[in-house]
Amino acid sequence: MTALLEVRGLRKHYRAVRRGLRRLFARQQTGTVRAVDDVSFVLQAGQTLGLVGESGCGKTTTARSILDLVRADAGEVRLDGQDVRPVLAGTDRAAMLAVRRRMQYVFQDPYLSLNPRWTINEALREPLRVHAPQHQRDWGDRIATLLERVGLEPRNGVRYPHEFSGGQRQRVGIARALAVEPDVVLLDEPVSSLDISVRSQILNLLAALQDQLSVAYLYISHDLSSVRFISTHVAVMYLGRIVEIGAVDEIFARPRHHYTAALISAIPVPSPGAVDQRVHLRGEVPSAMNRPAGCPFHPRCAAALPICREQVPVLQPMGPNTQAACHNPA
Amino acid sequence: MDADFASSPVSVLATLQRPPAGVWRQAWHRFRRNRAGMIGLVLVTLVVLTAIIGPFVAPYDPNDNAAMLRGASNAAPSARNWLGTDRNGYDVLSRTIYGAPTALAVGLGAMLIASLIGVLVGGVAGYVGGFTDEALMRGAEFFMVVPVFVVILAVVRLFGIIVVGTPLERIPNFNLMTIILLLGLFSWPQIARMTRAEFLRLRHAEFVEAARCIGTTPREILFRHILPNALPPLIVLVALGIGGAILAEAMVSFLGFGDPKSISWGQILFFNYQSLKVAPWACLAPGTAIFVTVLGFNLLADGLTDAFNPRVRA
Amino acid sequence: MRSIPVSAPDPSPAKAGQPGPLLAVEGLKVHFHTRDGVVRAVDGVDFQVGTGQTLGIVGESGSGKTVASLTLLRLAPPPARIVAGRVVFEGENLLLQPDKRLAEIRGRRMAMIFQNPATSLNPILSVGQQLTEILRWHTGVSRQAALDRAAELLTLVGISDPAARLRQYPHELSGGMKQRVGIARALLCEPALLLADEPTTALDVTIQAQILDLLADLRQRLSMSMVLVTHDMGVVARMADRITVMYAGRVCETADADTIFNAPQHPYTRALLESVPRIDHSYSGARRVLPSIAGRPPDLLHAPPGCRFHDRCPEAAPECRRTMPREHLVAPGHSVSCLRRGSPGEETP
Repeated sequence: MTALLEVRGLRKHYRAVRRGLRRLFARQQTGTVRAVDDVSFVLQAGQTLGLVGESGCGKTTTARSILDLVRADAGEVRLDGQDVRPVLAGTDRAAMLAVRRRMQYVFQDPYLSLNPRWTINEALREPLRVHAPQHQRDWGDRIATLLERVGLEPRNGVRYPHEFSGGQRQRVGIARALAVEPDVVLLDEPVSSLDISVRSQILNLLAALQDQLSVAYLYISHDLSSVRFISTHVAVMYLGRIVEIGAVDEIFARPRHHYTAALISAIPVPSPGAVDQRVHLRGEVPSAMNRPAGCPFHPRCAAALPICREQVPVLQPMGPNTQAACHNPA
Repeated sequence: MDADFASSPVSVLATLQRPPAGVWRQAWHRFRRNRAGMIGLVLVTLVVLTAIIGPFVAPYDPNDNAAMLRGASNAAPSARNWLGTDRNGYDVLSRTIYGAPTALAVGLGAMLIASLIGVLVGGVAGYVGGFTDEALMRGAEFFMVVPVFVVILAVVRLFGIIVVGTPLERIPNFNLMTIILLLGLFSWPQIARMTRAEFLRLRHAEFVEAARCIGTTPREILFRHILPNALPPLIVLVALGIGGAILAEAMVSFLGFGDPKSISWGQILFFNYQSLKVAPWACLAPGTAIFVTVLGFNLLADGLTDAFNPRVRA
Repeated sequence: MRSIPVSAPDPSPAKAGQPGPLLAVEGLKVHFHTRDGVVRAVDGVDFQVGTGQTLGIVGESGSGKTVASLTLLRLAPPPARIVAGRVVFEGENLLLQPDKRLAEIRGRRMAMIFQNPATSLNPILSVGQQLTEILRWHTGVSRQAALDRAAELLTLVGISDPAARLRQYPHELSGGMKQRVGIARALLCEPALLLADEPTTALDVTIQAQILDLLADLRQRLSMSMVLVTHDMGVVARMADRITVMYAGRVCETADADTIFNAPQHPYTRALLESVPRIDHSYSGARRVLPSIAGRPPDLLHAPPGCRFHDRCPEAAPECRRTMPREHLVAPGHSVSCLRRGSPGEETP
């Protein structure tokens, strides 16, 4: 069975070099930031893959590479088996639009992702203008339906983004992504800029929309609690690589990679006196420019073996529905 | 307005920074409360009105120096010549009024040229990036370090010699147009730099990426998203530049390098500064006009800066 | 009108001999006078912190928790105006002290850790300069003694090779490291009370865990009191002895951490706890719906009359629209401000 979205060996390296004339004057400081390194995963229709990790682990770059907002160095992004990276980068506009229509992005900060000079109606008209130019008469109705679907009153469409609260703006961001009836929506930290009492509203909305439209989500977040709520599957990234991937309950119940375990146990549980069986991590995430040799996690790992220092572990099946890249799994 | 749609967000700080409705409207709201900006707007309006209706109401033809023939040059203000006459027998009021369209032509013309070049160069540099950016910006820096006045004086003098006997000589206000062109040619780098900075900022703005995700064409992104959002700081810069260009033309003319056939305030000063003691009104009137106009545009720019700055409290 | 001060028995019996709380805030009101009107950011807030105790102040943005904590040192930025109330710290009302006295207290008796370590350190001063400056200003020790003390503190907050770090500038440090320096700076003069405003919000989760560990350990070793302001229920659960829940400028509920989490009384506290997805809970299989609070926090410029939570409250009664509840004790050490829990009310216009 072909997966709805399959990412294979996605790679994006940044070379830190000074460009232009400055190269003549500055001391050369080159290095390669392996922002995304050989990332592969599969997303089926109606599923949600939570992509988690700490800042700088490459989760956002992964999502942006999928949509060609950042041009990946290598890898394939297959939508129903067809590699769409050449299409997105290519010149065939009709083909490009066909792909863009099926994959949409919801940004972290809905205030930044809406043009401040456009009303909500204008913002929602843009996807329709691009993808359904011939149905101009229906736009008004479609926009009203969209706003209702995300829990906003259509009469508020004449307002500007800054007149809305954060939660409402994020609803607009979601409506905009849904305007073209996509099959996959990439959600980049959609609730982290929102107030706690509003977060649950947006998470519920996302869950409800998925149930109604059976759209697939790639949910990017550093907040593991919301990942646990919204996701069916989860992929944990560390320094540009997926270190563990699988069904959400299996991974949360029994993380095999030591980083996953540390990450999960680092989340303070809202029950005082919860048994403190935390995995304490030494040090901080090294810069992606000087990634440690071998397993990138070994300098911080309590269970590191000599082999971890030399050989990069690859993802191997660890349970019925999970894989982890670890020489000495828990 | 329903309860869920109270007009302002809840956070105290957000309340303080809350911009009121509509972005241009919001700028206007802020501008209206800015006293300096409003004074600037009034002064500029005054100058513009003078330039438009002045020629119809001016008591004399600007080139009418009949007073000299009557021996009434350097005459003090009187009922006949409200601001007196100058050493050449021109009516000071009429000539000052006729100086307004010239000043505006210089200011607007120079900044129009500067904006066209600046936005184009800055826009390309910011949008394309890479080597193009590098090359264009180094070019802009070249124009910033050239001493503008020396070049203008030299070119005006040179043209004055070259055009004699050519059809160019018959073009009215040829010298003035040269000055406008040169002022424009040397004022664009600031605009280019600002445009580039705005384009760089906006090129990676999330709403531009959002538009790319939807499949909006680069052209539409440029004209519907980037340009309108880059405009406010450019408008401020242009308003400031208009004042600067008017002042520069006045200085060039005062040094005697202006266009003898056009009527400009700097030129009136140049003709009359030697008789300052005898007929101070002949210098005071154009001097005040320059002062008011330049001050007006500067105050206007000041007000616009605040109006477009979202951090200034509404 | 002053709310009845709620006596908070010190939970640690060892400290029972203390004469009174280290810090007592009574009837504090801080209003922002804006062009559009008066924003009642903090509108009658009481809380106490005992010696060696950690008080967690929890609330959403706009609840007034940050303004309240900044007001303890009179640091709330203009146009904030302290309208009423007392802040009694070590026996003196800080709101009445002259600026000079307050400057002596700041950093020395009561110190602050800021949310964003990146901006709370001066970028053009080295770590050593920033740390010794405060120490020398407060205690007048020699430069070398101050440097030694700074190095000692860096070691205390878990920074290795302190001598080298003292010479570094903020941009050379990682986020977690900067926050450690911020903590070291706050601890320089061994304050009796540490104010921490969202100390880990800007940090990654594994670094957050390290910093929380550090704070818990320091509090123990230095027997320091702490006021921890946060929106994260998990963080207060881990750190706080007592918790004050704030909503729209008022205190909803104050109790021991256990009580807040296991037997919350105020509808807002309950809703807030339920609406946060839990990492230790499986959501697959069942219909994924989080119990969520409808609507959003009120605009404090036009604060609703009566209980400020009434329009979002599942238990609201008609009286809640008119009557503002006052805090009252429902159990020893547990006060709630809700008419449906028997709080006395006061009519609002």
